[in-house]
Amino acid sequence: MFFLFLFFKDFAKDRYGVSVMVQSQQKLDRVLVRVQDLTPEKADQLIWLRARIHTSRAKGKQCFLVLRQQQFNVQALVAVGDRASKQMVKFAANINKESIVDVEAVVRKVEQKIESCSQQDVELHIERIFVISQAEPRLPLQLEDAIRPDGEGEEEGRATVNQDTRLDNRVIDLRTTTSQAIFRLQSGVCQLFRDTLTKKGFVEIQTPKIISAASEGGANVFTVSYFKTSAYLAQSPQLYKQMCICADFDKVFCVGPVFRAEDSNTHRHLTEFVGLDIEMAFNYHYHEVIDSITDTMVQIFKGLRDNFQTEIQTVNKQFPSEPFKFLEPTLRLEYTEAVAMLHEAGVEMGDEDDLRSACITHLYDTDFYVLDKYPLAVRPFYTMPDPNNPKYSNSYDMFMRGEEILSGAQRVHDPELLTERALHHQIDLEKIKSYIDSFRYGAPPHGGGGIGLERVCMLYLGLHNVRQTSMFPRDPKRLTP
Amino acid sequence: MPMFQVKPVCGGDVKIDLPTCMYKLPNVHAQQGNSCSSEHALQNGEVDPAVKVLEARQDEILRKLYELKAAVEGLAKTVNTPDADLDVTVSSSFSSQSSSSTMLKGSTDLDTLLGKDLGALRDIVINANPAQPPVTLLVLHSLLCQRYQVLSTVHVHSSVSNVSPQLLSCLGPRHPDSYARHLFQLGFTLIWKDVPKLEMKFSVRNMCPIEGEANVARFLFKLLAPYPSDHAAATLVDSWVDTAFFQLAEGSTKERAAVLRALNSALGRSTWTAGPEFSLADVACYCCVLRSGSAASVPANVQRWIKACENLGHFGPAKLLLQ
Repeated sequence: MFFLFLFFKDFAKDRYGVSVMVQSQQKLDRVLVRVQDLTPEKADQLIWLRARIHTSRAKGKQCFLVLRQQQFNVQALVAVGDRASKQMVKFAANINKESIVDVEAVVRKVEQKIESCSQQDVELHIERIFVISQAEPRLPLQLEDAIRPDGEGEEEGRATVNQDTRLDNRVIDLRTTTSQAIFRLQSGVCQLFRDTLTKKGFVEIQTPKIISAASEGGANVFTVSYFKTSAYLAQSPQLYKQMCICADFDKVFCVGPVFRAEDSNTHRHLTEFVGLDIEMAFNYHYHEVIDSITDTMVQIFKGLRDNFQTEIQTVNKQFPSEPFKFLEPTLRLEYTEAVAMLHEAGVEMGDEDDLRSACITHLYDTDFYVLDKYPLAVRPFYTMPDPNNPKYSNSYDMFMRGEEILSGAQRVHDPELLTERALHHQIDLEKIKSYIDSFRYGAPPHGGGGIGLERVCMLYLGLHNVRQTSMFPRDPKRLTP
Repeated sequence: MPMFQVKPVCGGDVKIDLPTCMYKLPNVHAQQGNSCSSEHALQNGEVDPAVKVLEARQDEILRKLYELKAAVEGLAKTVNTPDADLDVTVSSSFSSQSSSSTMLKGSTDLDTLLGKDLGALRDIVINANPAQPPVTLLVLHSLLCQRYQVLSTVHVHSSVSNVSPQLLSCLGPRHPDSYARHLFQLGFTLIWKDVPKLEMKFSVRNMCPIEGEANVARFLFKLLAPYPSDHAAATLVDSWVDTAFFQLAEGSTKERAAVLRALNSALGRSTWTAGPEFSLADVACYCCVLRSGSAASVPANVQRWIKACENLGHFGPAKLLLQ
């Protein structure tokens, strides 16, 4: 009986297997087709492609595979016939999930749409399959679990993946369609920010992150050892943006990391995040600055609305939320008006953020608005006081879905007033001497503000935790990966 | 009742040696000294006179309190009842109306009509579809600006993509003081949005939204002048407003022709549509006549009346938009 096996020679053994490690041994003149381009137009063509094994399922003489490339996937089939042997089918069924494979296949049209794949009108009939990079058999998390909406998981008793597991195995978690969509959208935000400001005549600058004095004051600053002394990691590019204005750059913006040593373990705080900061000189009134900033934000929202619908829908599948609404020009109310709105609703000062934003959203139907003229006492020392009422200041906050995303103001550009305000806030003048000096040689009136990239993305998409929009987040409890 | 006597069993003065190893307590049953008698009721139930005085004073104070409470409650009733105040102002405004030919009369107070100013700009928010601009509201806006200090703004909601520059500037140029919201009495915020029907929101807490151009027009007109005091006249105005919006603007050619004929005969009898005074009926009919596109081929009285409206000077923006 043993001898019978000798007769079952594998006629397909050249058409499958594990490849040697790609060490650039040869230059193959081979075109690899992208999964997203697999449409009925390519029917009956023989193509090569490289993708990951998303799932594999053997069924008798056939093996069904789903091959995945970023947000796109396609069904593929290895069937015993004149091109594939039983051993080849068995090999295909046993390739570990997430392994990267090179596949030569014929594209075939299907009569019934394949609902579970992004490419619904075609499937691949595999003739050759080689493993380029093998994945270990036991994955720390399953991708289908990672994109399952939380509610669905509970209802059907299936697993979902909690945030810590995702963050500990970020490389795999980032492969999900949802993560791919989120970070592509984030890249879009950055690009729209740069493009809009550049069109308005702004210049992009880079500011130092190792600095000698805490810029915002207070204790929330990281210290680093700097040769024989110590230095700090910048809490914001504030001081340098302003020095650039005094250096006649007129309108500047910068994109870079911001470090805040706040021991806050909340859904919207990170110890390191990407700050998008703006500063500009204005002619007569700081509302010119507000108009510029709000117009930039509106252009970003429009760009996302018009060009990233696929990504927004993908994220909504796992995390449903209302689409982001805004007005153009942006709604601007005064701080005292917002307080009055709350009094009208019968609420005293206290836990009023949600109620205020609910009032405003209900009346104007917008998720983005500006509150102008904050009280002076709650703002940093370099904020310009209101000319008519010393209790208030020329400062403003901007909100998305009721949460603050930007704090800005007209800055004090007069060295005497700046010194007086610093003393009032009990700041050591020696530490900010070079900052004050930069205003002594003619400084234009100016103002600005800064947003956090992660927070803006989180609020635009209606997500609930800023760690979902930070690739490798840093918070008081997390330093890796 | 006499009882038989028994001789005492033991003598009255038995000497007892009290032990010294126990501590002594004062005798609970012994009579207290005279100095403390005022704190206790005496044996036969009489109350000490000082206590009586105290009680009397307490009763007096309680009675006065009850009287005060009743008085305050009475005052509260008269002050809180809304009718009490409104009757006074409304009746005074009615009595001050005379039949001269000025355009808008009658005293109206924003605080009475819209509620007390609590520090937030009283903002009228109108959501309109750019496919159907609410022309009557533009005319009313112009009238409002004449009477009050109005902060007008136009916004485009994210649900619509392209709005023509004409629609963006339909409320006129931006007020130079528009950065200082607290200088204005009233806000007029027009938002171009993808809504099926025009709606107006005012105070989220006290008012539900108002739907439909005719109804919003009625609300806004009340800020300018009250409806005629004569109920028949008021009904006439309302009837013309409805006729304008339903039959003139949305009706078939036959209906429109019929309305124009009716308008013509009404204008033969009086200067304005609903009588000797300019009213909301004139605003509504003018806009709907122009919107229906048959302004050139209207009967003589209507033509004369159209010119009269235009001479008043507030119909400019409407005419511009409808061209």
